[in-house]
Order: sequence, then structure tokens, then C-alpha cells
Amino acid sequence: MNGSIVITGAARGIGRQIAERLAANPSFTVIGVDLAPELGLAGHEMVPVQVDLTTDEGVHAVRRAVEQTGAPLIGLVNNAGIARDARLVNMTDEDFRAVLDVNLGAAFRLSTALTDLMTEGGSIVNIASRAYLGNFGQYNYSMSKGGVVGLTRAMALGLAPHIRVNAVAPGLIGTEMAMAIPEDVLDKMVAAIPLQRMGTPEEVANVVWFLLTPLSSYITGHVMVVGGGRSLS
Amino acid sequence: MNIFRPRPVGEDWIEVRAELERAFQLSRTAAQAGESFVFVVHHDDLLGRRGAGNAIVATGLLSAARTAAIEGARKGWAVNVVAYDDDADPDVVTGWAERLAEDSLGVTGELIRVGPSHLGKALP
Repeated sequence: MNGSIVITGAARGIGRQIAERLAANPSFTVIGVDLAPELGLAGHEMVPVQVDLTTDEGVHAVRRAVEQTGAPLIGLVNNAGIARDARLVNMTDEDFRAVLDVNLGAAFRLSTALTDLMTEGGSIVNIASRAYLGNFGQYNYSMSKGGVVGLTRAMALGLAPHIRVNAVAPGLIGTEMAMAIPEDVLDKMVAAIPLQRMGTPEEVANVVWFLLTPLSSYITGHVMVVGGGRSLS
Repeated sequence: MNIFRPRPVGEDWIEVRAELERAFQLSRTAAQAGESFVFVVHHDDLLGRRGAGNAIVATGLLSAARTAAIEGARKGWAVNVVAYDDDADPDVVTGWAERLAEDSLGVTGELIRVGPSHLGKALP
């Protein structure tokens, strides 16, 4: 299993952890995509592509980067995401569009643009969110992540049997995004999780690794929730 | 009544987003008025059987409905989704949608499926 793997939102948080996990394996050429400038993995090899994935130019730049590696594309992790929370009654058109464009539009457009480069088969992992099951104040975010689930299912059917497509739906993970939540609110959220703690980016990366590699060779079209049991409580 | 039926879309993001945005506009207007609303989708789209664009719209609406239902539960308005298959009687589908939009009798955040094609398939 040798080839290139693209991961979006690679600069920070869950994406960063996934990129580091992949880059530690010399079989992979990791292409890290992010709008943020702090790309690059110390001590590891990663091809940095700093672009805006909501534009055609950004998507084309990623495709060119894959072609320039000379290695077949074997994996794609659509991870880039933002949140602009508000109650539905107060949500602005701008916040609605921004979240949809980044969380869903980029995954849709990039997947469409890259799958023909998976000439030797491959695996696509879309990072959804437990919020696809519903979450207060996140109409836009929840809709975008629900759309990612539909994208995953349609691609799984359309790209079988050579390419597998799955989704990971993280719950509350200890990233910068979570740390921005007020402490008292965060405490209540953690108390509602059966495992009584936030997840770590590493725990999400482990599941992404499983879905990218032949360990999951008979799984496609699946959504794996990584949320400490929160969907039950 | 606040009932949204998405139009079929192709594999173009701008077209897909426009359909989701139409749903958002209806949702926000209804929520601001304190009124219930309903999305009507095809069951095949919830499972991704009729293209990525239509799948994104259907599953995006289902998730948005679940979130809006949480917000509406505190205010007394409901949000539900009706899914139908090719064998479903259109009048029955409309009847369910109108009933849920008018007075859902405490049912909210639910997916009501008209027709048997979902049996034995994944839970959306």
C-alpha cells in the first residue's frame, strides 16, 4: 500500500493529528491542505498546499499537487471545517453559506475532482460530526455534516468496488474549537458523556487510520461515531 | 403551511447549496414566526441511491430538522421529515406532511417513512 494521501484542514486539531499519523509511515506521501499558513510537519515529510478549498483554483491546486507527486492517490481525508453557531432564528445568511461552503462544498468538490486519480483503488474518509444527529444552535453546522453523510453514502455506492468511502463523526474532542467553549458549559457537556471526558485528536486519528487502510477492507458507506457514548445519554 | 420539498439537483455544488439555502430561508422564517415546518424527501436519497447532489440535500435536511427540532422544543414548534418511496401514494405523503406541519401532537425531530423500501436498510 504505497501512494499519496490528501488531508484537508491539516494545520490544526484533528486534521493535524491525522496528518502526523499518516506522515510517520514512509509508504505514504502526505499532501496537507489548509488555508492557514502553519503547514508543515517537523521531522516528517508533508507536501503543503495552502489554498482556499471553496474556490475552483484551490481545488485545482490540490489536484496538481497530487499529480506532481508521481505516486497514485490512494487516500483522501475531507476534514476541513468551521463552525459559526447561532440559534436558527438569529442565523445570518453569511454564516449559513460560510459553514456550508467549507464543511460540505469543499468535500464535495474535492472528492469529485480527485477520484479519477485513484487509479489503483483507494479509500476516502469524510469527517462528519456527531452533530449530524442534531445539536442546539448549529443548524448550519448540523446540516453541513448531515450532507457529508449523504455524500459518503452516494460516493460509496457510486465508486464501489474499487474505492471505499466512509465517514467519521467525532463528538466532543479536545481541540482549539472545544477549548473556546466557556468552562461551565464545557463541564456540563463532559458530564453528559458516558465516558466522562472529551475525546482526543489521536482517538479520532486511530479510526481514520482504520478506515483508510485495508484493516477496514469490507466496510464502505458507514458512519462511525467517535463520541464516548454521547449519542445514547 | 411550512412544507419544503427539494427540487432534484445535479452534481453541481452551487445548485446543491441553493436548494439547501431555500430550505434554510423557510426554516428561519417559520422559526421566527413560532411555526412548525416539515421537509419532504425521497427515501432513496437518504441512502445515496440517486446521486451525490440529491443525497447531500436529503441528509442535510434531515440533520437540520433534528437540530431545529431541539431549538423548537423549547418554544413549542416542531420540525419533522417525511420520506417516501416510489410506491408511496402522493396524497398520503402530502397528508402526513400537512398533518405534521399543522399539529404534530408532540412528534418532533422524527423521520416518518411512507412505503416499505427502508426496511432492512441503514438507519439514516
